[in-house]
Amino acid sequence: MKLVSSAEKAVIKKDFGEVWNTKMARTTLILVPAVLVVAIPALFLLMIYLVPTSQMNGVDKMMELLPPEIKYYTQRQAMYYFLTNYLCPMLFLMIPMMNSTVSAACSFVGEKERSTMETLLLTPLSVKQIFRAKVYGCLLISFLSSMISFVVFTIVVSAGDILLKMPFFFNWNWLVLVVLFAPALTIFGVIFMVLVSGRSKSYMESIQTSGYIVLPVVLLFIGQFTGLFQLDALLLFFISVGVLAADAVLLLIASHSFTPEKLLR
Amino acid sequence: MDAIYAEHLFKTYDNVNYALSDLSLSIPQGTVFGFLGPNGAGKTTTVKILTGLLRQTSGECTVYGYSPSQNPCDVHRVSGVMTESAKMYGQLTGMENLVFFAQTIGMEPDACAQRAGELLKQLDLWDARDKKLSEYSTGMAQRLSLARALIHRPPVLFLDEPTSGLDPESAQSVNEMISSLAAVAGTTVFLCTHQLRYAQDICSSYGIIDSGKLLACGDFQTLCDGAGCHIKAGFRLAEGEQLEGYEQKDGWWQTELLKEEEMPLLLQKIVEDRHNVYEARLIRPTLEEVYFQYLEHQEATT
Ligand SMILES: Nc1ncnc2c1ncn2[C@@H]1O[C@H](COP(=O)(O)OP(=O)(O)OP(=O)(O)O)[C@@H](O)[C@H]1O
Ligand SMILES: [Mg+2]
Repeated sequence: MKLVSSAEKAVIKKDFGEVWNTKMARTTLILVPAVLVVAIPALFLLMIYLVPTSQMNGVDKMMELLPPEIKYYTQRQAMYYFLTNYLCPMLFLMIPMMNSTVSAACSFVGEKERSTMETLLLTPLSVKQIFRAKVYGCLLISFLSSMISFVVFTIVVSAGDILLKMPFFFNWNWLVLVVLFAPALTIFGVIFMVLVSGRSKSYMESIQTSGYIVLPVVLLFIGQFTGLFQLDALLLFFISVGVLAADAVLLLIASHSFTPEKLLR
Repeated sequence: MDAIYAEHLFKTYDNVNYALSDLSLSIPQGTVFGFLGPNGAGKTTTVKILTGLLRQTSGECTVYGYSPSQNPCDVHRVSGVMTESAKMYGQLTGMENLVFFAQTIGMEPDACAQRAGELLKQLDLWDARDKKLSEYSTGMAQRLSLARALIHRPPVLFLDEPTSGLDPESAQSVNEMISSLAAVAGTTVFLCTHQLRYAQDICSSYGIIDSGKLLACGDFQTLCDGAGCHIKAGFRLAEGEQLEGYEQKDGWWQTELLKEEEMPLLLQKIVEDRHNVYEARLIRPTLEEVYFQYLEHQEATT
């Protein structure tokens, strides 16, 4: 048994082209990562590197949030540690969330909007196969884009590490984040969009609903600043497992709601 | 086995109005079946149910023995479907579109391109093969849809108004194509159309539907008999001459015949009566007349 048949592969390939040829989706896939993992970290790095330490306000307060081993860092180093471990994870997670929702909106809602879904349903591919091929296609695009983003991010942040004479930024937190949390969110984004696509009439409308996914994640990371909890690797691991479990449930619901009658309404 | 079979099909979208009520059909293999009816009669609904895009509210139907609601994949493997609402990809070229749909059927890459080229030539789209579909005219896009429906040489074709947006020349060539598919390959064609003249030329059997009810079904003769439309004898005589018991219409003296064979005797008699006959001909009922007859009758009874 092959994982995907050649017919499904054709659908995946077609979806790739379609996402790429939708201006809005392409912009999101390129511009959002560029801003989030290159422009913003680079800008902060520049600020930390150039602004005299005497002019930095609130650094002491911030240092209280950081783990004890950071005590021996200089102020610049501590600032940079804060940036790479508290701010950047949040920025990085935007990428899988945005990419998965945008590509799924393009692939599912866009197809419905342009009345090509009916034609696809008339092929000998079963509804399940079409669903699977489309989900795979969206996941593949988002994974690919997230992975490339992470590589670029690593280069940018490592440059800062070298500049500030700090150890390599990658730690357990980042490992869980990249290997588990980001993929779990990608899957969540795709399936969420599939479920929403049944209801929303247009591509833009469905993109707007993706805000509902981004918000909780942002709150989760900003919540740390209250000092009430710390997102360590273990907590991130459990959250990721939780999201994966939710993925499984949603996947079941989505694949059942994916019927010709509902799709063509 | 019938290529297309339906028994007591009902369909309602809103649980109040029935788009189809008690539709039964039985279409043998190799038939070109003309499905006729006014706007909103339920033609497209029937096609969508038979191709598994919609589920009937009640009743049974099969295409080549497969149930569209239970085995849609098998139905799609044996049938090519062209409906107005099933569009193709605008950002792909004509060729790419056909190759993509050939791939979804599981054809080999080489065979895909070859078959696509063949159809593009047949449908006069070869020159536009590398143009994006979004740059096609309505008629061109429609012909491409027909090519898509034909790509896997299906034994059953569902065509929902395949010639409605075509110029007369293209429409004619499409109609010829449909006829030859039925004659040569034995393809069964389910053809929804409003173009009754074309339908009469290419269909071997008809169904007339209105408000979801099948008013008549069968070959042309059956339809004529059911509607009470008979063949007529028509004579054009010299100015001022009259024929007793005939009715005059458009300069022709006409009378209904029970069958064609009555004509020679009738003509003989008129000549013997010393009438000056300029022209004599059989006036056969047209599909148009029969169609209107059924619809008028339907309106009168409801
Ligand atoms: N998606 C839908 N939701 C609700 N009602 C519908 C839907 N599609 C069709 N109908 C209704 O079903 C009836 C039959 O429509 P259908 O499209 O089958 O007609 P048709 O014979 O194809 O007409 P036309 O010649 O205009 O194409 C109409 O009364 C129409 O209003
Ligand atoms: Mg219609």
